[in-house]
Amino acid sequence: MNLDGMKTYDLDDSVDVVVVGTGAGGAPLLARLAERGLRVVALEAGPNHEPAEYTPDEIDATTINWMSSRFSGGDAPTAFGPNNSGFGVGGGTVHWGAFTPRPDARDLRLRSETGRGADWPVDHAELTRYVAEVEEYIGVSGPAHYPWDPERTYLYGPPSRNAAADIMMTGASALGIRATDAPAAILTRDRDQPHHGLRHATTNVGSIHQGERHGAKATTAITYLPAAVAAGAEIRPDAVVHTIERDARGRVTGVVYRQDGEDRRQRCATLVLAGGGVETPRLLLHNGIANSSGQVGRNFLAHGAVQVWGRFDEQIRGYRGYPSALITEDFVRPAGADFAGGYLLQSLGVMPFTYATTLVRGGGLWGDELMRELEASRYTGGIGMNAECLPAEGNRLELSSEEDEWGLPRATISFSPGENEKAIDAHAIGTMTDILTAAGARSTRVLARTAHTLGTCRMSDDPGEGVVDGEGRSHDIDNLWVCDNSTFPSALTANPGLAQMALSLRTADRMLAGR
Amino acid sequence: MRAADCTVFFLPGLGLNADAATPVERELDDRFRVITIELPGQGGAPDAPDGSTEAQVDAALAAIAEHADGGAWMLCAHSMGGKVAARLAARVRDGDVPVFGLAGLMLLAPSPPTPEPMPDEKRQQMLSWVDDGSPIAESDARTFVDDNVGASLDPAVQADVLEAVQTMSPVAWRRWLEQGSTEDLSASVGVLDLPCTVLAGDQDDALGAAAQPALVADVYPRAHVVPLVGAGHLLSYERPVEVAHAITALWDQIVAHRAPVAPEWGRLIASPRVTPRVRATLARRALSDDPAYRPRVLNSAQLELLRAIADRLVPQPSGGRIDLAARVDADLAAGGGDGWRPAGAPSDAEAYRAGLDDLRGAWPSTPDEQDAVIRAVAEGEGVPGASQEPEALQSWFEDLRVDVVREWLSHPASLVRVGYDGFATGAEDAAFAGYLSLKAGERDEWEPAELGTVAGAPEEDV
Repeated sequence: MNLDGMKTYDLDDSVDVVVVGTGAGGAPLLARLAERGLRVVALEAGPNHEPAEYTPDEIDATTINWMSSRFSGGDAPTAFGPNNSGFGVGGGTVHWGAFTPRPDARDLRLRSETGRGADWPVDHAELTRYVAEVEEYIGVSGPAHYPWDPERTYLYGPPSRNAAADIMMTGASALGIRATDAPAAILTRDRDQPHHGLRHATTNVGSIHQGERHGAKATTAITYLPAAVAAGAEIRPDAVVHTIERDARGRVTGVVYRQDGEDRRQRCATLVLAGGGVETPRLLLHNGIANSSGQVGRNFLAHGAVQVWGRFDEQIRGYRGYPSALITEDFVRPAGADFAGGYLLQSLGVMPFTYATTLVRGGGLWGDELMRELEASRYTGGIGMNAECLPAEGNRLELSSEEDEWGLPRATISFSPGENEKAIDAHAIGTMTDILTAAGARSTRVLARTAHTLGTCRMSDDPGEGVVDGEGRSHDIDNLWVCDNSTFPSALTANPGLAQMALSLRTADRMLAGR
Repeated sequence: MRAADCTVFFLPGLGLNADAATPVERELDDRFRVITIELPGQGGAPDAPDGSTEAQVDAALAAIAEHADGGAWMLCAHSMGGKVAARLAARVRDGDVPVFGLAGLMLLAPSPPTPEPMPDEKRQQMLSWVDDGSPIAESDARTFVDDNVGASLDPAVQADVLEAVQTMSPVAWRRWLEQGSTEDLSASVGVLDLPCTVLAGDQDDALGAAAQPALVADVYPRAHVVPLVGAGHLLSYERPVEVAHAITALWDQIVAHRAPVAPEWGRLIASPRVTPRVRATLARRALSDDPAYRPRVLNSAQLELLRAIADRLVPQPSGGRIDLAARVDADLAAGGGDGWRPAGAPSDAEAYRAGLDDLRGAWPSTPDEQDAVIRAVAEGEGVPGASQEPEALQSWFEDLRVDVVREWLSHPASLVRVGYDGFATGAEDAAFAGYLSLKAGERDEWEPAELGTVAGAPEEDV
């Protein structure tokens, strides 16, 4: 994004707020605080990307991803990198799928409803007001009639259905499952974005996970961050925070970050960590703070994201068009289910290397079978889920003994699905297989996968149960806040990006209200 | 007559023209299509807008774009043409020109990208031939030819050369001597890491067999310098048989270590639908592998075993061969990873070394037995005598399986194989980016024909 002429602050200035991270957690808050006149600086670990240099090539495109190694263990090791971790101005929104279902009220009351998982210390109606504000600001497109929420409206008509969406619609209709065009932060008409300029209507590129150059896909780098800069925020790219400094009373006084090979100190009155579900707990554990609950790094949640792929007679070529153009929310609470929570389904388009990786890791294929499957990929269409995940004792993030290139200990994340996750998987696999078969699939194949990095600094009313309160403020340090999806007490069936941006505005308003 | 496998674009040296390619073309078989490019001011071509090498490159690129068929091509460049070829190949490497398919370089006594080592008195003498702005006189042309051959040319051939020198634009002649030959292009040319053969005569002075190894070493890491005993500087005239043999040998080596990209797809990669960054990436991956590749992370025994394993994990379609193991080694050396490692695992490089050493002891000779070992490792049963737990071996091996398939699939020939053209969707002008047709069985007009029928068009019999 254009940072020319941006207001800058001296390192000696004690700014009002430093925000670490510029993705869905950091950016909306940064804009809100700057617009209310606060002196704010965002520190972004990665570079400031030039949209013209985005490439659909999945190998080269990893410049937008956090590629410094994390260690991954457990029965279902989480694949990091391009799958879930952003790097650079815009954070994870540069690679996100822009799939924007709203959080379901039942998911915020999971414990009250089922006795399992955790409730959100957040009022659903309030969150929804923020969600609607975000949808309007970033430009979310969707169907005229949303079957699971008839009151809801979207600004623009939905992205065109690709062949994978057509297949899912055919199969769902045959089975009496309600499905419709997915809400997506993808423009379907040109739009002038305040402080950014023209954003083009989608060209139906399928490579949005590699970055999208024409501005159809909302990222914070073309929405909230230009607004923040226009209001006087400073964004410093290539700045890796490693030390949080505090005074004798334990309050934060500033941060030290590595930039251009030098350590620099930025003093601040308030610190907001928005580095995501891995970097935020890593930084807190490394500094040994905000952890009187012992919950930092615990409760790591990953959405169940198993996929089922069907083989069809015609060329599907799901790499065309918006990748998840169809949705069903019929299984947020499936009738007669023996598990807590539920799942969403979406049609799946996929890029070739992402698909090949899933065939290898999730399907165990190699040799002739792998090659046959790759050569048939153009005839293949899929459905994927996004499912609730319950916290479990062994699913957590810890520090390893190996240092990364900035001298920080690498994170080790362990994840093993529990009985609830397995039960959801089995249910969803059955549903997806039925839909594909009803749509005429000649054969189907199940590929295991998880998505997103959540829960490692969860919010709670009880200071013993979480790291931050329901507003995002540390239970231990009153001028330290966390604003990213590490605060999620449960995974939600909805994908996290939209909810996170809404929470970000809400946290900003709570910070402003407390001044 | 069948379509040629390879187009040879011939770039003549100073004072020469399309005729310089004729003796060589006669010696080549029908796998080759020879297209001679008349450089500015030679062979009747107009002078360039200025005297820079870049202006010559522009003219040559325009000719290549016009005559390209989407398939593989190489440059055969003589003397001054060698400097043009270096800069041209660099621009192809960088993706900023609408061509694709450069497979190798055949250089005949090439001028280097650096200022040409030419004695000042020789430069002054040659400049004096065009002092009055008129074409070079026959006597001066004779001097030029005599100075540049190891032995006398056949009289008919000699007449051609004299004619070419005399009809050369005096402006272009002067420009090369005063500007083009003195430019230092080494920064913008950089390293050209592609198959390359250099022929040079031992009777040539500044650009001869003795001088070339030092001139080409930094620019062309894969260069193979072949001295021609008794030859001077005008190699295509003096030694057309050897030149043709060298072209054929270079092409044979390329073919043995590459996966070909179908011409229809090559034309798409060259088109404005593909951004320079993507075109550069695909051009780099499409280059044939170096048969003399020396591993940088693995040792040669480990590399050989990895090649054998890769053959079982990713059996390549017939008609092409990508050295997946060498590419994995190169990526390991570059330090790239995928953002995570199995908990407790050492660095990727160490994991590869240890894992391959563990497998080496258990690696059998027949494909079926090899598959059994692969299955055992992949399913966590380990191998006898391994230094690490079966689970650690299994985790590393899963990464290896992904790495090998990545090297295969990222090659443009493989993208063709799986029917993926999404690399061509990022044009700057949104009107030429992305897709219009998204339905099963249908394609847009710009997409390769095998990907479906054009929406709204009547179905054609194929």
